Amino acid sequence: MTDIAPPASANTATLDRYKRSRFKNISNFEVIVAGILVTIIAVLAIFGSFLQTHDPMQGDLMARFTPVGEKGYTLGSDNLGRDLWSRMLVGLRWSMSCALTANLINLAIGSTLGLLAAERPGWPRTISRQITDTLQCFPFLVVAIVVVVIIGHGFWPLVLTLGFLAWPIYQRVVFAEASSIFQRDYVKAARIAGVGRFRIMIQHVLPGIRASLMVIFAFHFAGLLIAESALSFLGIGAPLGVPTWGNILAEGRQYMLRAPWMMLVPAGAIVISVVTMNLAGDGIAAMSRKRGRSIDV
Amino acid sequence: MNAPSSATGPVVRIENLSLAFVGQDQVVEALRGISLHIDAGEIVGLVGESGSGKSVTAMNLLRLLPRTKVQIPEGATVNVLNQDVLKMNETALRTMRGGEVSMIFQEPMTALNPVKRVRQQMNEILQRHQHLDETAAEALSLSLLKDMKISDPARVYNAYPHELSGGMRQRVMIAMAFSCKPKLIVADEPTTALDVTVQAQILNLLKDRAKATNTAVLLITHDLAVVAQICDRVYVMYKGKIVEEGATRAVIGNPQHVYTRALLNALPEGKAPKSRLETVAAAMIEGGTAEAAAPAPVRASRPPSDKPLLEIVDATVSYASRFDMLGRAIGYNTAVDHVSLTINEGETVSLVGESGCGKTSLANTLVGLVPLSGGQIKYRGQDLAALDAATRREIQIVFQDPQSSLDPRWPLWRLVTEPLTVGNSPGRAALCAAAADLCGMVGLDRNSIDRLPHEFSGGQRQRIAVARALSVRPRLLLLDEPTSALDVSVQAQILNLLLDLQAEHGLTYLFISHNVSVVRHISDRVAVMYQGKIVETGAAEQVLTRPTHEYTRTLMDAVPSLEKVFANR
Repeated sequence: MTDIAPPASANTATLDRYKRSRFKNISNFEVIVAGILVTIIAVLAIFGSFLQTHDPMQGDLMARFTPVGEKGYTLGSDNLGRDLWSRMLVGLRWSMSCALTANLINLAIGSTLGLLAAERPGWPRTISRQITDTLQCFPFLVVAIVVVVIIGHGFWPLVLTLGFLAWPIYQRVVFAEASSIFQRDYVKAARIAGVGRFRIMIQHVLPGIRASLMVIFAFHFAGLLIAESALSFLGIGAPLGVPTWGNILAEGRQYMLRAPWMMLVPAGAIVISVVTMNLAGDGIAAMSRKRGRSIDV
Repeated sequence: MNAPSSATGPVVRIENLSLAFVGQDQVVEALRGISLHIDAGEIVGLVGESGSGKSVTAMNLLRLLPRTKVQIPEGATVNVLNQDVLKMNETALRTMRGGEVSMIFQEPMTALNPVKRVRQQMNEILQRHQHLDETAAEALSLSLLKDMKISDPARVYNAYPHELSGGMRQRVMIAMAFSCKPKLIVADEPTTALDVTVQAQILNLLKDRAKATNTAVLLITHDLAVVAQICDRVYVMYKGKIVEEGATRAVIGNPQHVYTRALLNALPEGKAPKSRLETVAAAMIEGGTAEAAAPAPVRASRPPSDKPLLEIVDATVSYASRFDMLGRAIGYNTAVDHVSLTINEGETVSLVGESGCGKTSLANTLVGLVPLSGGQIKYRGQDLAALDAATRREIQIVFQDPQSSLDPRWPLWRLVTEPLTVGNSPGRAALCAAAADLCGMVGLDRNSIDRLPHEFSGGQRQRIAVARALSVRPRLLLLDEPTSALDVSVQAQILNLLLDLQAEHGLTYLFISHNVSVVRHISDRVAVMYQGKIVETGAAEQVLTRPTHEYTRTLMDAVPSLEKVFANR
């Protein structure tokens, strides 16, 4: 071998070092904070029913407007004397599963159309981009309102509305990133070697855009949480009787001066979860930049 | 500190300058105690390979490096025009940059602002540094452009950068660099992005203008031939140190340092065709004299047969360039225009031409990435389009840029064996064994098959690309500028490897390049391509020494060459 040898440290146990380096990169402040918060939110959403202190639906008219922390009401009670903590837990589960499912549907539709557009110039690309453009022209909330009004309330109508309307961001990002990867020489080399289109996508393109997809997934999750809360706030998201952060907030608004916690608790929860998701997005982006640098230099 | 006066003394005086970049968890030494000086009106070359610190030296002259990331130990002096640059503040430096000292960059497209006309960009400098009004600036700009031997300065003056060719943009950059009557111009690889014929013109312009205006030039380059063409003195850098300095002729004609000698020996120019080139690494490792390194045996290469392997008959490739409202093509650009070429078994045919002449389009057509628009290509007597997959895989390609031709997330064993996994799945153990064998063939460490591309150097990455192409036992290898992204010493290694592989496996090469000395070294026959057509074909020696076509002659005259420079002096 005549090439100038790389530094000696690179010679030993490189595979292990690479694996370790993925974890070494999690030294990022955002990632740590976001990781802790995401874990807390996930635990609350999954095991929330065990943590309820009261029946979220059953009010105690003797305990109306109990302030935060008094008489065993951790986060206070509302105008009908229902425990806000328990209601928030129900709402958390509802909102999170709604945003998560819608996000997965978005991811599937958007990436498929994005990959299609990147891989096949010509009419598939034209159609994919036209659909995306058309959808992005619609004012999202207005369309969502119309759809929910027509189809009706409920978990699935809401999820499917968000799922089928909010995917354009995935299409755009996947199209842009995949197009650039399709231009790389290693994809050309694979094609020349006879590797099929589908395998090129799975083995070269998808791993190449994975980091970006994770970042959008986090940011988009935050957007969907807000969208869900907004629709519920307007009374067209969750069905009547299901407490979600949006309609708890809407109820609280009426008693803003008498019992401010009724509004501050759901509003704070929405802010915290949205910030968490954005932090997670930033953190993943920073990590992938860091890793990208060590790969590209 | 001396009083600012430019009447006497050297334009640049650097003494004992060391410099380190401070990263998050490491300190990288870029310069280790360098000293150099440039006198008024002198053209000085700074030569070295990538990472040797030549650009850092130049950037530091104007303190263009981020101050927080750079550490300069005490005891260093950097005097530019008798002012201590290391002690100057930003305001003073800004006045100096673009005024008394100006820069020319490698890539004129990115150095010029794409949304402003040349007019605005030239005037801006003149107004800022010379305080001229609009009319005076225009008059001066036009005369500067005229000095650059631009035939229609008015058109160029009013154009946007994208409307100009690469050579024209670089002329504008040079005109701008000279516009404020600088004492010093720092030119960082000013011709590397340009074609050979344009490079020759630009270098001559730079030299003429510098001599006419008595401006000192610091020319940074990796190309010794460029230095030989225009520089009075030269400094050779290696790993952050200046290893040799002196008059250009003395350094190149009679190099003293091992590295300089190795660098010159690594150039294919002036060596017997197909002989083994000496590599810098070998010379440096042996530490002693360059002569002690491997001798240069001419390979017992098999004589090429006269059985045609590939026949290109009247091939035409065109791309749709304009579309109607429904996206249907209505205009075409012809990249390859009725080209005919035959490549015999075991032969190396080179395709020489400037950028945009259609040589890469032809290669892409041969491997099936771009469809043929007219004519026929026959491989072993069969039509290329009708080949079965197995035969088609006998044609493989190595790309120019090893950075982009390897998936950054894949380990070596997966990269080189990817073609083997098509149609069957041999399993990881078998693939790793195959990968180790391929590593052996191309001179890579067999134990490195778990490493990722970024852990390899540029030359090693190009070896990986060659190994991948070899994995399916090809008969015809297309080499698309395989050495032009590499340093001279690494280029020598790759050329040695290619010649060894050919001798061993009887490979046939189609070598695409713009580098005439590399082509001369490696080829049996040469085809010269110009504007989509092949204008001349013949035995390498004949085409390159006694060209018959006018374009080939222009090309050969333009090629910077050490021999030519010494012959003329």
